[in-house]
Amino acid sequence: MSERLQHALQQLHSRFGAAAPQLAPPTVPARPSGIPEVDALTGIGGWPAGRLSLLAGSRGSGKRTLALKTVAYATQQGTAVYVDVPARLDPEGIVRAGGVLDRLLVVRPRSLKEAMDSARVLARAGADFVCLDIPRPRDAALDAELPHLVHRAAEAGCTVLLIHETAEEAISVRYYASLIIGLERKAWVFRPDGDLAGLEVEAATVKNRMAPPIGRVRWVLHY
Amino acid sequence: MFLCVRTPDPLVVAAWQEHPERKGRPLVIGGQPSERLPVLALSEEARRAGVVEGMPLRQAQQRCPEAIFLPVPAAGGADRVRRALCSALYCFTPAMGEQDGVFFLELDGLLLQWPDRRRLLQAIAVEVETTLRAGAALGLGENLFVSRLVAAHTSWSSTRIVEPHDTAAFLAPLPIRWLPLDEDMGEYLDLLGLKTLGAVRTISRAAWQRQFGAKALAVYDLAGGIDRRPLQPWRPPVRIQETMPLEPPVDNLEALQFIVRGLCDRVGEALRDHALGTRWLEIGLGQDGERPLGLGVRFAYPMTAPPDLFVRVRARLLRARLHAPVDRVTLTARSLEPIYVRQPGLLLRRDGFQESLADAVLRLKEEYRPELVQRAARVETAPPLADRRFRWTSA
Repeated sequence: MSERLQHALQQLHSRFGAAAPQLAPPTVPARPSGIPEVDALTGIGGWPAGRLSLLAGSRGSGKRTLALKTVAYATQQGTAVYVDVPARLDPEGIVRAGGVLDRLLVVRPRSLKEAMDSARVLARAGADFVCLDIPRPRDAALDAELPHLVHRAAEAGCTVLLIHETAEEAISVRYYASLIIGLERKAWVFRPDGDLAGLEVEAATVKNRMAPPIGRVRWVLHY
Repeated sequence: MFLCVRTPDPLVVAAWQEHPERKGRPLVIGGQPSERLPVLALSEEARRAGVVEGMPLRQAQQRCPEAIFLPVPAAGGADRVRRALCSALYCFTPAMGEQDGVFFLELDGLLLQWPDRRRLLQAIAVEVETTLRAGAALGLGENLFVSRLVAAHTSWSSTRIVEPHDTAAFLAPLPIRWLPLDEDMGEYLDLLGLKTLGAVRTISRAAWQRQFGAKALAVYDLAGGIDRRPLQPWRPPVRIQETMPLEPPVDNLEALQFIVRGLCDRVGEALRDHALGTRWLEIGLGQDGERPLGLGVRFAYPMTAPPDLFVRVRARLLRARLHAPVDRVTLTARSLEPIYVRQPGLLLRRDGFQESLADAVLRLKEEYRPELVQRAARVETAPPLADRRFRWTSA
């Protein structure tokens, strides 16, 4: 940066304070998801650390399968937390994806407040990855707790991934999320013997604060 | 030089303190003769009549019909006697301890303060007698083993000194039962005709090692008056408690937090002075006209710093249900452990979790319920049923 530009910025800062032009923040560190297609879609090589990301899609679109694979990869790198509000987590999926169960904490809350409180406390305490599985998108407790969770995650550099049925209804989530990925199932994938092997999904970047959106990616998500 | 203080059994002393009129009479503690129980403790008068510890009470009655039989006293009586004596002796020197029911003091560090050894021993005897209201036998020897034997061969309310150059002569005629021998070895020595400590020392050290092995060399050394065991020092119990009466009673939670913050500072300071950390902090809230409220805060690792204490105490206080204004606040530190430099981000537990994460899990479990945070483990031997493949445990 030239000396004249630096001087001009100083003058603007002394005149307008925080409203003055500032240097762009450094690149957000990323936590790879273990799925190359998703890493490419985020634009920074993985889920952003210290930020809230949203995985949205209708039922059967493969968002929990994708989340389980991500959690499994996160347990290989450090400690992961899965906040299981609907109490539907099957650790088999994590084990199949190569996850380390010893490094996984599963929170089974009875209310959304418990879920958000647990996520906030564990994120602050040093958990590397927190996956929030919350089926109901609209809830006053979620709106109230999200800013605290985002703040604590940013302080601790914890990656928070939220799974929602639809992104349209969750206004507060859409506001606080730095990255929103929408999933859509295109086709079921079967083995030659007729068993279900996975699903072909198409993912699109709905919102990305870290990098320009890359459009759509289609790949087969194996169970 | 070590001083051994041999006192009557603390159970007997506790019984004497409760009923002073029984002093001087044969006393047997353990129960009534009709009960099929053993003798736990006895006074010297009963011992002279032939009663020993472990003997059935009925047999003890046959040997000493005039003895007074007492049931086992409520817990704490004997401990109180021990604690009182330890505290009294601790005033002379911190190098004191209790081993196998007798008390030891290392007197080497007291020469400057007490140049006259006789007067020191006299002062200790007086202190012991004042504390127990009973006489003790004091024996001075060059180490723990010798001083213990000296005290064992000293009558009550008297003192005996065995100088280092007299140790061999003192030990030589004593029977080998004073040595820590197992039954086989004792019988073997008896068969060999080695009945006294002096006789043991007539064998060479090398021959002894060949016969009994290297482990038995410690016994051989003891027979010669060589005891290298250090004294295990006794430390007075630390009680860290801070209290604040509130007049008038306070019902404002903000004000209460301010008061608790001050108490946390004081507790933290006391902990730091003793180089201790607490794992369990009790909060006592006296309520005006209501029953006092007791709360507790558990820590995953020993905590000393006041801000760390206050963060958890405040959170617990805000969840408390107060029914009346608070007129007294008390903080008591329990589960005290030696302090260490706390670096939660660096410390890893045996299960691989960071200390800070373990602490967070503990807090959540305390605040909500134990099964809130769980861990799954694959059960290799489980039947192929969906709900049996994994075992869920509280994290």
